[in-house]
Amino acid sequence: MNESLALQTQGLTKSYGKVLALRGVDLDVRRGEIFGFLGPNGSGKTTTIRCLLDLIRPDGGTLRVLGRDPQRESVAVRAQIGYLPGELRLDEAFTVEAALRFFSRLRGNHMDWAYARDLSDRLNLDLQLRVKNLSKGNKQKVGIVQALMHRPALLLLDEPTGGLDPLMQQQVLRAIREAQANGATVFFSSHVLSEVEEIADRVGIIRSGVVVEVADPQALIDRALRRVRVRFKKPIELEALLRLPGVTLIDQGDGSSVLLNVAGDMDQLIKTLAAYAVIDVDIERPSLEEIFLAYYTEQP
Amino acid sequence: MKTVLRYALLRWRGQIIGWGVALAMLAFIVASLYDVALQMRGQLEQLLKGMPPELMMFVGGVDRVFSPAGFLDTRYFSMLPLLLGVFAVLIGSGLVVGDEENGTLDLILAHPVRRVDLIIGRWLAFCVALLGILAMAWLGLIIASSFTSIKFGWLDMALPFVALFGVLIWFGGLALLLSMIMPSRRLAASLTGLILAASYFVTAFARLSPNLSVLAKWSPLTYYQGGSAIEGFNVGNFGGLLLMAIVSVLLSVWLFQRRDIRIAGEGGWRLSFFARRLRKA
Repeated sequence: MNESLALQTQGLTKSYGKVLALRGVDLDVRRGEIFGFLGPNGSGKTTTIRCLLDLIRPDGGTLRVLGRDPQRESVAVRAQIGYLPGELRLDEAFTVEAALRFFSRLRGNHMDWAYARDLSDRLNLDLQLRVKNLSKGNKQKVGIVQALMHRPALLLLDEPTGGLDPLMQQQVLRAIREAQANGATVFFSSHVLSEVEEIADRVGIIRSGVVVEVADPQALIDRALRRVRVRFKKPIELEALLRLPGVTLIDQGDGSSVLLNVAGDMDQLIKTLAAYAVIDVDIERPSLEEIFLAYYTEQP
Repeated sequence: MKTVLRYALLRWRGQIIGWGVALAMLAFIVASLYDVALQMRGQLEQLLKGMPPELMMFVGGVDRVFSPAGFLDTRYFSMLPLLLGVFAVLIGSGLVVGDEENGTLDLILAHPVRRVDLIIGRWLAFCVALLGILAMAWLGLIIASSFTSIKFGWLDMALPFVALFGVLIWFGGLALLLSMIMPSRRLAASLTGLILAASYFVTAFARLSPNLSVLAKWSPLTYYQGGSAIEGFNVGNFGGLLLMAIVSVLLSVWLFQRRDIRIAGEGGWRLSFFARRLRKA
């Protein structure tokens, strides 16, 4: 086990009857990073997280959480984790404060109550309300607070901003960044790609129970094709441009404008364009969402 | 475990008070009727003598009906296993699986709580809840008896409740065990309820039909003394029921530690552990 890793899985497999939910998940999550786990519904995100928490036992493979085996040292591992389930259900018999105190007591009262109050204030969560009277968004806020309030070393968040309005989503992302700044590792699943792009240091893309890509979001975007539209003062010969590696023509227009696809480095293209009288250059950068969708539409 | 126990009791506090007050009131009513029954003994004996002998055996004979212990047994303690059995079956079957089915168990077990602590903590809470209900019923009986010619000591009157506790935790333990195996809490509760009802009738009819006595040996209610415990508590019967309940709980712990926690809405028999073992073999 590499001590610099907060999470490590190798060849993790899990099936439910005949359905293979995980088909060999390999993941390395470094300590102190925010790792976005992307995938559509049913791709294996939640199953992976539930294996990490020892809620379900994998059929094969190995996993380490904060250097420990979550099956053998289950309690010690979970003492250091803050978890937000994807489908949060809370005991409706209590008020928010009673529910939070219950979770705190399950941890032996190892929580920072002032921090819990601060988080609740920032999320506009009234601690005196009864859980049964809360909206879905407010229940999600309770889930966020209980996951963060004991300042865990590792946060496992399954769709953390689900059901929240954009303002609250930003508050939650801020709280996640603060947790990271205080040394926590954050592993969160999402299919809201804009938020992943905004806060994740690295992303892993899971598809049908297999991690097909792990990279930092910027590298994924940089690696992808860009569309470059160039307008010249007068028509030019395109040969010099099309000879460049990674450059292909999409549309020639009237000769004084051109639409190109560029794979990889932009340096050669920019230098070549410098030899011409250019009016305008418009570079279309693909979003993480487009890249993500490409993984699901282009690969078999 | 203390937190688990405490919060389980907090959740059930309404049920505990409700059942306790209802059974205390019932005890009050039944005990109050004893002196009325004695005053009308002549008329009632005539009525009872007109009944078929099979039915008389069912109530235990004329003399038994008019003895204080017999009266309490036939009018109160004989029906308590069925009444309070409903509580035992529902709580027992939902001790762990209730939270699993409503989706709250995931979050609880994501905390540093051992599965064994969760199930044992809940089980102890169930026992405390039962003792609380029985204590309220006992108190009702003591208060009511003080106004009648039923003159038993306080501790003597506690003995049928102790016997009842034994049989209730037996059914609670069975419900818990079945909930660990069966696809849903509802199915586990239904099957345990069916066993409870069958046990009640088999035990009752075994007094009429010797053919049923073999079957009655397997019925837990055969080992429930009811009101007759006042006249002599059978430690062996109580110990046997207690032991069986403990075995059920230990088996449930063993199964719970080895299986996956299901998310709300998942179904199917909970035998994935055995299926995995078979596959590996």
